[in-house]
Formats: sequence, C-alpha cells, structure tokens
Amino acid sequence: MAPAKPALERSGPHLREEDTLLSAPVESRSFPERAAGATRDRFLQQALTIATTRFVASRDEVFAAFPQGDALRDRARQIKEAVLQRLDHYLEQLTANVERAGGHVHFATTAEEARAIILDIARRNQVKLIVKGKSMAAEEIHLNEALEHAGMAVAETDLGEYIIQLAHERPSHIIAPAIHKTKAQIADLFARELRREVAADPEVITRLARGTLREKFLQADMGITGANFAVADTGTIVLVTNEGNGRMVTSLPRVHVALMGVEKVIPSMTDLVIFLQILARSATGQKLSSYTTLVRGPRRPTELEGPQELHLVLMDNGRVRQLAGTLREALYCLRCGACLNVCPVYRQIGGHAYGDTYPGPIGILMTAMLRGTPAVKDLAHASSLCGACAEVCPVRIDIPRMLIELREHLDREKIAPWPERLLFKACGWLLGRPALYRLAAPLARLGQAPFVRDGRIRSLPSFFGRWTRTRDLPAVAARTFGERWAALAREA
Amino acid sequence: MTTRAEFMERVRREMARTRGLFPARVAERPADPMTAAELVRRQLAERWPQALERFRQEFERLSGVFHAVASPSEVPAVVGRIARERSARRLITWSASALGADLGEGFRGEGLDAVAMPDDPVDEAAARELRAINAAAEIGITGADLAIGETGTLVLVSGRGRPRSTSLLPEYHFAVFDRRALVETLEQAGVMLEAWHADPADPMSGGVINFITGPSRTADIELTLTRGVHGPREVHAIFVSR
Ligand code: SF4
Repeated sequence: MAPAKPALERSGPHLREEDTLLSAPVESRSFPERAAGATRDRFLQQALTIATTRFVASRDEVFAAFPQGDALRDRARQIKEAVLQRLDHYLEQLTANVERAGGHVHFATTAEEARAIILDIARRNQVKLIVKGKSMAAEEIHLNEALEHAGMAVAETDLGEYIIQLAHERPSHIIAPAIHKTKAQIADLFARELRREVAADPEVITRLARGTLREKFLQADMGITGANFAVADTGTIVLVTNEGNGRMVTSLPRVHVALMGVEKVIPSMTDLVIFLQILARSATGQKLSSYTTLVRGPRRPTELEGPQELHLVLMDNGRVRQLAGTLREALYCLRCGACLNVCPVYRQIGGHAYGDTYPGPIGILMTAMLRGTPAVKDLAHASSLCGACAEVCPVRIDIPRMLIELREHLDREKIAPWPERLLFKACGWLLGRPALYRLAAPLARLGQAPFVRDGRIRSLPSFFGRWTRTRDLPAVAARTFGERWAALAREA
Repeated sequence: MTTRAEFMERVRREMARTRGLFPARVAERPADPMTAAELVRRQLAERWPQALERFRQEFERLSGVFHAVASPSEVPAVVGRIARERSARRLITWSASALGADLGEGFRGEGLDAVAMPDDPVDEAAARELRAINAAAEIGITGADLAIGETGTLVLVSGRGRPRSTSLLPEYHFAVFDRRALVETLEQAGVMLEAWHADPADPMSGGVINFITGPSRTADIELTLTRGVHGPREVHAIFVSR
C-alpha cells in the first residue's frame, strides 16, 4: 500500500479507515470475516447495488429484444461441450495454424510454468516495459508480480485494471474490475500516484489515464493479453474489449504474448459468430463490444506495424483434470460476469470477499478448480442455490449443481467442520424416519419456547448464534402443515 | 518444461476417462465458403438499401455519425467541415490504393496536413517517423471491408497500405465505404470471414481483423459511460453512393 496522504474532498460521507477495509489485501482474513467486512462497507454496498442493478437491467433489456438469443445460447453450450469432447484435436489444429501464420505456441501445465515461459520470452527480447490488456488468466497466475520481480515495468491498460494496479488491489468483478471504488476514491488515488490535482469526474480521470497510458503504449517493448477465444481452424486469437487497449497492445509493441486456458479454443469462424452474438449482450447489454479484434500471426510482410513476434501460451493449471471431473461444465465459461450481477451473495459482499482471482458463483468453482476443494470449504456455502446464475449464463452452466456436489465432497472427505457435518447427518437421519420427524415438531416447540418473540427467533446461544446474528429464524408453527393435514384427513 | 507431446498426452488421458455430459455438435459451417459468400453478395445486390438503413440506425444509436456522399471526391469536404469544428488539422489516411481513391489533394485543399500511409514496407528510420506522425494525428481515414447493419459495426482488415493504428490512435476516425461492404447480419459477416480464410494466403485473412462497433468507451468508473478512453472518441461513417 502506498502511504496515505491527506485525502482531497470526498463527495461521499466521510468514512473512518476501518470502513474501507477492502482496500487492503484481504486474503489473510477468513471468508466470514471478509464477508462481514464487506457488508459493513457503505461505499461498497452503494457501488455494488448501482452496478449490478444496471448490468442486470441492460442484459435483460437486450435479450428481450433478441428472440433468437435462447436458441443461440443452446448452440453455444453445445459447441463448448463438443469442443471438450475433442479438445486434443482442436488444440493440435490451433497449434498448427498459429505456427503456420508465423506464431509460436507454448504449453504450460502449471501457473509456475506459464510465468516462466513468459518471463523467458521477455528476457530474450530484452523487454523493459510491458503493456497489458485485461486478462483473468494473467491475474490467475499472478503474472505482474513475477515480471516486476524480474525488474520489468508492467502497465495495466484497461482503465479499471489500471486503477486497481495503482491501488495495489485485485479486481472485484470479472468485467468491471474497479466496480467497488467511487470516483472520489479514484480521484484521490490518481492525485496521489500521479502527483497532480484531479477532479472527481469520470471524464477528467479518463482523459488523464488516456494521456498517461498512451505514452506507455508507444514505448512498450511487449504486449500481454488474454484471449476470449482462439479459432482452431485459422489460428486466430480473438480479443473482445470496449476501450481499444487490446488493439494498442497487439499493434504497437514489437512482441505480443497471449495467455489462455485450453478451454478457450473454438473450432471455426462460424462458431465464433455464435459466441459473439451472446457474449457482449450477457456482459454489458451491448450487441457487440466496441472492439472485437481477430489476430492471426505476427505482422505480415506487407504491414507497416504490428508485433514481429507472436506467442500463444496454452495453459492447463488445473483445467485438464476437470475434463473428467465434477467441474467439467465450468470449462464452458465465457467470463461474461452475468452470474455475478444476479447473485444475491455477490450483490451483498462484492468480489474481494471471495478472496481469490475469480469472484462470484463461477469464481467459487474456478477457485476449487485451481486450488482444490479444501480451498472452498467456506465459499462452497456462499450461495443460496437460487439458480439465478444458471438462468442468465449464456452457456447455461449449471453452477448450483456443481456447488451441491462440492458441498457433498467436502462432507464426504471430512473437510467441512465436524459440527456442521454432525448437524447435517442428524437432519438426514431424522428426515429418513417420518414417525420420529412427526415427534420432532412438538419437541422443537418446547425447546424453542424461551427464544421466540412474535413468531420469530431473533437470537440463539453459542454455535447456533451464528445463524441469528445476521438473520431471524422463523419459529416452528403452533400447528405444522403436517399436523393440520392429519387433522383434516381425520375429519374427512 | 512441458513439451507439446506431454501436454497433449495428458489432455488425451483425461479425455479418455469420460464420454462427456451430453451428445453435442459444433456449428455447421458452409460447405463451400466461396459459394456461400457469393450467395450473400447476390442477396445484398438487391437488399443493400435495407442494410444501409439498418446500419445507419444502429450506428447512430452507438453515437456514430453517419454521412452520405455521391462520390469519393466529396469525402474531403465532409472531413474538412468536422475537422474545423473540432480544431483538428493533422490527418493520416490509408494509402490511395487501399482506399480506392486518391484523396490527398482534396484533404490538403481543406487545409488539412494529410499524410498517406505507404503501400510498401519502409526502412527503420522512416518507420519511426511514421509512428510519430501516427501518434500525433487527430484524424484517421480508413476504408471498411464490411459494414454490418444488425449491429452498426465496421469491419477493417489490416494489410498493405492499411495499418492497424489508423483507426485507433486518432481521436476522430472516418471510415469510407460503398454498398459493396454492406451486409445485414453478423451471420452474413461470419460467412465472409469463412470465405476470407478459405485460402490462408488471402490478404483478407488478416494480420488483424477489427470489428469496430462505435467509439472507444469505458464504464469502469462508477459505470459512467465515457468515450475515447484509448481509441477514437468519435467514429464517422461516410457512405459513398457513387
Ligand atoms: S459462468 Fe456463465 S454467466 Fe458466469 S461468467 Fe461464466 S459464462 Fe458468464
């Protein structure tokens, strides 16, 4: 963290330091602590409500006016599954065609290997300054730290990522990384880092960033991007952006490195057009993003500009073993962010509370994929299983099903804490014995008596108090449905 | 380091452990992309006015500015007027052969400092000089290889005399095209992409193919829409009816 200087005028309510805990790296705290911190952060709460509400509204509007959307989503889902069924074939084809176009292809089994490959390319080219397009894959392997550690300067160029980089934070949303920051906070940050007075006006801040980053684009030796898709049939890397930074990064520096998870490969241009029709609509409610950039190989001999070298790094990092694993379906993900916006949990706690690279419902699955099931011991429960994510997902990923499977796994492997396992076991046992279950209602009525006020339980002792700390528990009714049903049956 | 063979071996091993989630097929591609593209062109020969109208509407919805002129020689006057309103003078343009018309004199007649990009590769010193000119330019003039009605999108293929950055570095981008570029849907654009790539040596298969849908934009600060963050903040489409 940069040392705090006296802040400029804030437009929001004045806040104490502990109200903005989220600006500090959060990984050291447990998930419940992080989540609790987030729900107390008033800035964050406001920002989350505005952003997610607007994203959801634009998405719904654009799909309502696009009757073929549903059929296209079904086709896109099919394509993703079909690609996984012949993944080796498409990866071989992609590799051959990238090489035919004059590019180089590298294979990274682990994050460490991916970093080493990219570092090696940078060193061989005597790279000093790197400009980066937005890439979740690069975030996933903590690429910036590795490059900076090796003495290279790295500039994030997506405005949101740039803000996050200046603040030494991590993205809190897949497509809007700085969603958790207010314009006043960003103006403060720019003032501090760029040493100049900045008005808390998005237009002014954006102009300033344009000037600063333009210099870097022109000076940079190497550009690093992710890839939204890679077309096997042509060896084309596809980047979808709104700002145009992806275009800068792939046009101006002399070396371009694209890093992608193996699951991003698609067969043909025809498949690409199907995905393009649903991706931006799901992400931001646009028909297409401002720029869809198809990159095939390095600069052609007939071109005046463009990189002399192009490298594609194909990364596994936990993905390949999920081909036959419970998280296979998560490999369909387009990273559109729609499932975050509709998730009642994400809308309350924001991205940082998830504590890893990928936030939101899909983020829980990605974290399990990258770090193993024990890493989501708490996160696996950060879902109400309402199904909203599966409903908006452009490729209809059944996220709730996989979350339930994760929970089962945590229970089976005894990773979940024992009181939780015991409680669920007891419940399961009871539910399997109707006679006993019927007895449970009168017993519960007795037991709950000291805690009930106006039909609700507002606080419980010890272990159970965790539940009632943030919500009420409805009391067991004076006559349960089962009891009434039985009475009615007797009368009849 | 993992070799390609080891990597693929691992992929195959894991694939062999499952049959997948459900029977699935990839998208059906045109059997003969060239014929399919020809068919699209024939349809458009009749339907181009509808495609143009749709393009205009969608493009304007994206805050693009649409102009129509009768012949290429009228393009400089349109650009000149906008340039004066914006107090801009420095202009770069795709080469005359890439544009299909030599507009250099016309631009200079409007008082613009116009530099056309060369068709042939240049030496390093000249390349550095060009880069400085590109970086300082306020106006960029390009053609467009497709104009998609459904989305208001301009498609530009980089190549000889058509640098990637002419449509990117300046604040004001003007794309000049005629009815041959018009298609109605993204699906038709997909057919064109297939046709361009049918022969890997075809210059229309890139370097880089850019789909440009409105100006450069961001909503990264409080979701406030701001234009021209890195690329152009204004995009103009000039349709030449000829
Ligand atoms: S899981 Fe679906 S909705 Fe969520 S980011 Fe991925 S593609 Fe988008």
